Amino acid sequence: MDFTSLPDSLGHLLTYHREAPLIFSSGLFWVLFVCFMPVYALLRRRKWQMLVFVIAFSLYFYYKCSGWFFLLLVSTSVIDWFISRAMVEIGSSAGRKWLVALSVVISLSVLGFFKYANFFLWNWNAMVEGNFQPLTLILPVGISFYTFQSISYIVDVYRRKIAPAETWGEYLFFLSFFPALVAGPIVRAENFLPQLRENRRANHQEIYGGLWLILAGVIKKAVIADYIAQYNDLVFASPTGYSGFESLMGVIGYTMQIYCDFSGYSDMAIGLALIMGFRLDINFNLPYKSQSLTEFWRRWHISLGLWFKNYVFYPVQRTKLCDNIRKAMKKKKNRYGMNVFPTAISLTAVWTLIGLWHGFDWNYLCYDWFCGLIIISAELLKPVYDKVNRSAPKIFASGWMDMLRTLRTFLLVSFSFLFFRPDTMEVTIRMMRNLFAKPYVYQAAEFIYWHVYDLFLIAVPLLILGVVDGMKYKGIDVYERFHRFPAVVRYAVYVGGILLIYITKGDMSSGGFAYYVF
Amino acid sequence: MPEKNKKRPYTLLWILLAVALVAVFAVSFFDLPSIFGYTPKSSGMAQALFPTKEQPVAADTIPLDSIGVPTRMEPDTASHTILFIGDSMLDGLSPRLAAYADASGHKLYSVVWYSSSTEIWGKSHRLTDYIKKLSPSYIFICLGANELYVKDIEDKRTPFIREMIAEIDTIPYVWIGPPNWTTDTGINKMIAENTADGCYFKSDGMTFERRSDGAHPTAKSAIEWMDSVVRWMPEHSSHPIRMNMPENTTARPAQIFIHQPGEN
Repeated sequence: MDFTSLPDSLGHLLTYHREAPLIFSSGLFWVLFVCFMPVYALLRRRKWQMLVFVIAFSLYFYYKCSGWFFLLLVSTSVIDWFISRAMVEIGSSAGRKWLVALSVVISLSVLGFFKYANFFLWNWNAMVEGNFQPLTLILPVGISFYTFQSISYIVDVYRRKIAPAETWGEYLFFLSFFPALVAGPIVRAENFLPQLRENRRANHQEIYGGLWLILAGVIKKAVIADYIAQYNDLVFASPTGYSGFESLMGVIGYTMQIYCDFSGYSDMAIGLALIMGFRLDINFNLPYKSQSLTEFWRRWHISLGLWFKNYVFYPVQRTKLCDNIRKAMKKKKNRYGMNVFPTAISLTAVWTLIGLWHGFDWNYLCYDWFCGLIIISAELLKPVYDKVNRSAPKIFASGWMDMLRTLRTFLLVSFSFLFFRPDTMEVTIRMMRNLFAKPYVYQAAEFIYWHVYDLFLIAVPLLILGVVDGMKYKGIDVYERFHRFPAVVRYAVYVGGILLIYITKGDMSSGGFAYYVF
Repeated sequence: MPEKNKKRPYTLLWILLAVALVAVFAVSFFDLPSIFGYTPKSSGMAQALFPTKEQPVAADTIPLDSIGVPTRMEPDTASHTILFIGDSMLDGLSPRLAAYADASGHKLYSVVWYSSSTEIWGKSHRLTDYIKKLSPSYIFICLGANELYVKDIEDKRTPFIREMIAEIDTIPYVWIGPPNWTTDTGINKMIAENTADGCYFKSDGMTFERRSDGAHPTAKSAIEWMDSVVRWMPEHSSHPIRMNMPENTTARPAQIFIHQPGEN
């Protein structure tokens, strides 16, 4: 070992490297958090010192993830802050409308530039048969998430739902709060700013509840998701080399991987915030227990769903177009049309925008169209379903049917990921060919024989997570019960959890999160 | 919980995290013992802070002549039964080699032993079993990725590498070195010293796109890796064989044998 290289090594570790963003499950974050915590504990009662310290840490965290783009985040906060103050000063409704429009346009332009500039250049290139080179654009990590927060803040101030942040520091704290900065949950100022103003302190139970969530999140992400990803990545990268059953396992594996990856990240974010005394809303609520795709989207990435509901769905419902449809339907005494058509229009707007958010890519477009079409169709056909359900035999209301509906929804969601996961439509088509055209029976036995150990390794933690989540669903808080155990047992579990993560995960290098790319 | 701790709720948590961190950091200075055949992974913290002096070489600066024999050999045009053994890196390499094998009239058997090392293979004599069972006329090996951090590696691993080479006996072979994601403690140097001229493909220094675990090359990168080995063979391998460019990117080996960590 070369001990003289310590300064260089530290310099390398602590500066921005695109291939090594700082993520919660990495060893470096752990080291930084151990340094962060005692200072935070000392400053938490002194609001201003605490604000400055946490903002500095959050901006450094963002610098490690996205380099100098942290300045973009600071600029966004300055613009939003001045616009929100100006909205308070200006009394006229028209002036306020212009200001909110200005802020939203600025936020969306920045997001749109990074996401779509090259797409438009390529198409322009094709139309004029030019020879432009695509721009070397790196999407700042988490730009969508803080843009959503910025828009929700400005719109809520405009609607007079919230008072603007008292100071720029307070607003920058909200926008840059590191637990939720790069992949959500999307925090709403309405819930967050009052907590900051109350200056409340985390109690003992919240602090250890936070640690519990972080450990659960790291196990989901670093142990389960990363382990399953090794297999799924190979199947999706070269589907020609895999049988129908192996491909099916790859698709189902990805369905579990993305849940463990994304919900694991959310758990860590919520846990970190809880340790600091801030309560963030949950982002996942047993999504694979859903009985329909509509219900799935209410349980999956809840903060995004709520954002679209509040800032797209309801505003579209209140547009003149929807009002006119409602009036026209009322005249015709068509109650079905009165409710369903405006809803379908709003859902179309929501799914188009979610599609745009994911990015201009055929795979994402197909994914969003697929989900959107099923959800809109379900809305349009709701009266038919209701009628069928009312007249159906009792067996349709049994638990077995609920299980079948859950399985159907799980398979639909897994199928939708056939569009979401691959990099190109060619891979999607090859995977579909594997799934629907290749034989299964022999390969299933072969697969189980080869992978029995892996299946066991994946099944055990998933089963434990399922039981814990299931108990939560039934109103039994496992952590609350765990908290009643003697301190020695609790600390042993915490230490065991940390060691489990490190002996299975090991290396300080760690893969990014699936939703970093948005 | 005592009242004192409730007043300072962060103290115990900080102690817990700091002690665990120090323990994980301290342990990363040593080789961890194998538990029921499973070797716990090192956090790599010590290596990240105090790397060994040897730095990885950029791919385009590797003096390839120094690895293989300098003279071009005429490729052996016969059809071969190829045995490909190694660790989880085979997940990426094997489908590409299978495509080459299909395009060149060879038959490929792959043996993937997850989390395996030269020590595990050398001790188990499983290579001999597979040679007896499948009678390969050519062998590919990809091992070493699970031994990047082993201290005093020459003392600990040389006997096992020699044992494997002895088991291979006169069968021509190519040993594909590990795709280093960090500076190793000497595994590459040791394999190079113990394999015959023109039998070792040094992967250290190549640039890989990694999977989310930060270690395994992505499938695309593994394909390029296998392509590099194939391109290297005619000029540098002591026994190049026919390797026609396949139409399909990947294919399925004639048979794949899987061994799990902890198997003897």
